[in-house]
Amino acid sequence: MEDMVRRYFSLWRSFFDNSLTRDLEFKANFIGGLLVDIIYYGIQFFFFSIIYSYVDAIGVFTREDVMIFLVITFLADTFYMFFFSGNLFNLNRLMVRGDLDYFLLKPVNSQFMVSFRYVKSYAIVSFVILLIMLTTLVLAYPKPIGILNVFAFVISFLMGTILWYGVDFIISSSCFWFKNFSVSGWLSHEILKFSTRPDSIYTGLLRKMLFSMIPMILIASIPTRTLLYGPNIQYLLWQLFIAMIFLLFTRIIWKRGLLRYESASS
Amino acid sequence: MKAWIEKYFFVIRMTWIQALEYKANTIVGTFAIFSGLAIEFLIWKQVFQAQGINEIRGFTFNGLMAYIFLCMIVGQLKSSWVTSIEMIDSIRTGDMNKYLIRPISFFTYHFMMFIGHNSLFYIVYSTVLILFPILLPGWVFPTSFHILGFIMALLISIYLSYAIYFCMVCFAFWFGEVRALVIAYNISNIVLSGQIIPLRLFPDSVRNIINLTPLQFLVDFPVSIATANLPMNFWLPKMGMALTWCIIITLVGRVIYRSGIRVYGGYGA
Repeated sequence: MEDMVRRYFSLWRSFFDNSLTRDLEFKANFIGGLLVDIIYYGIQFFFFSIIYSYVDAIGVFTREDVMIFLVITFLADTFYMFFFSGNLFNLNRLMVRGDLDYFLLKPVNSQFMVSFRYVKSYAIVSFVILLIMLTTLVLAYPKPIGILNVFAFVISFLMGTILWYGVDFIISSSCFWFKNFSVSGWLSHEILKFSTRPDSIYTGLLRKMLFSMIPMILIASIPTRTLLYGPNIQYLLWQLFIAMIFLLFTRIIWKRGLLRYESASS
Repeated sequence: MKAWIEKYFFVIRMTWIQALEYKANTIVGTFAIFSGLAIEFLIWKQVFQAQGINEIRGFTFNGLMAYIFLCMIVGQLKSSWVTSIEMIDSIRTGDMNKYLIRPISFFTYHFMMFIGHNSLFYIVYSTVLILFPILLPGWVFPTSFHILGFIMALLISIYLSYAIYFCMVCFAFWFGEVRALVIAYNISNIVLSGQIIPLRLFPDSVRNIINLTPLQFLVDFPVSIATANLPMNFWLPKMGMALTWCIIITLVGRVIYRSGIRVYGGYGA
């Protein structure tokens, strides 16, 4: 088991080195990617600054809380982009063109290959900037935030990323059934939008759905609550449970999907 | 003229047939509008409830929702960023050569393709727009003049938006890869054109700057006409301004394109 983990980690490092070399060849695009991120962050801050010019708090989230929530949302997005978005977004194309064959022929787990092959290396720069921003906001927060909160936040954040991977992977893998589902990336993006607003706006059935079937609240809102208001064991256990369920689903769907794969003629 | 119309109508027809093959686009697009509206509904409901107010800068809650709903539809109808990315690719890869050796305009051909690809959206959203005043009377299109004004402003918005994207696409002649520029514009445009928050709710300083740009005519203008937020006596002067912007942006696009085509290698990057 240990050898396998070491082998896969070393494989991922090779993927990373290769992706970094590729990304640095297109320097303008590398800088452009950073520019897009900065504009996206600026626009989101601007959106909430307008909302908060008419209101003091949205549920429990004050202006300071929402600023931290936004940075955590961006961090989650950047973290996810770094590892997965360069891969799952292309799954439909790989399937339609039959290029998935090359992934299946390799002597490694095919789900690992399609999920981790390309790393968006420029996301590291955004990640470091966001981490500095988060630290600054946490230090300036009116109430002290303890080390336990930070530790629990890291765990909750990682589980949120696993969850988002699960949702995106399931949507992307639906191309095996639809034959050509080129809008899967768009659909994922639209569903992800629910995670970019504080959970206190969701009520009733929608809130229940966003806590379970489409677990968008668990991606950024729960990590934010964990960091700001302290770990809630019920939330964390629920997050772990849902993350495991979704991870299991990705395995089932991938195996079933591969059975339907007909190579280039798909 | 007849030959010109026939030629480009054929492009629309051809892309419309292609668009019919990808119905999932329309389903996801409709989901995008309704999910976006649901989020906006919930967030503004909190704002109105928390402050215990009935009106923000002249918008009642229902009026604001009707406004945002229309904004989302107009925002999606006028957005040609997917076509723009294809145009950038054709310049970067040298694929554009086929437009240069044929009697077609790169600008008009892609504009027609954009309309053709969006045709399914036009059908679905037109149905929604027809149902809107029947299901929620009084919130949009109080008179038939408002329908006419909206359609005219929407056509201007679609053209203007495409012409702005075209200017950005032409920078690919020099830089090869300008996708980031288009995506950055697209992201900022969603908020700055009033697609998710009405321009009237922006701080005055920001609004004054936006009023100096064509952004106000992309979403806010057609929707303000439809929701009767813009008095009728402002329609013609505003349409005149919007048309002036169309002419300016078209000319700027031509100048950039003509300069760009001189440096175009035609062999791909």
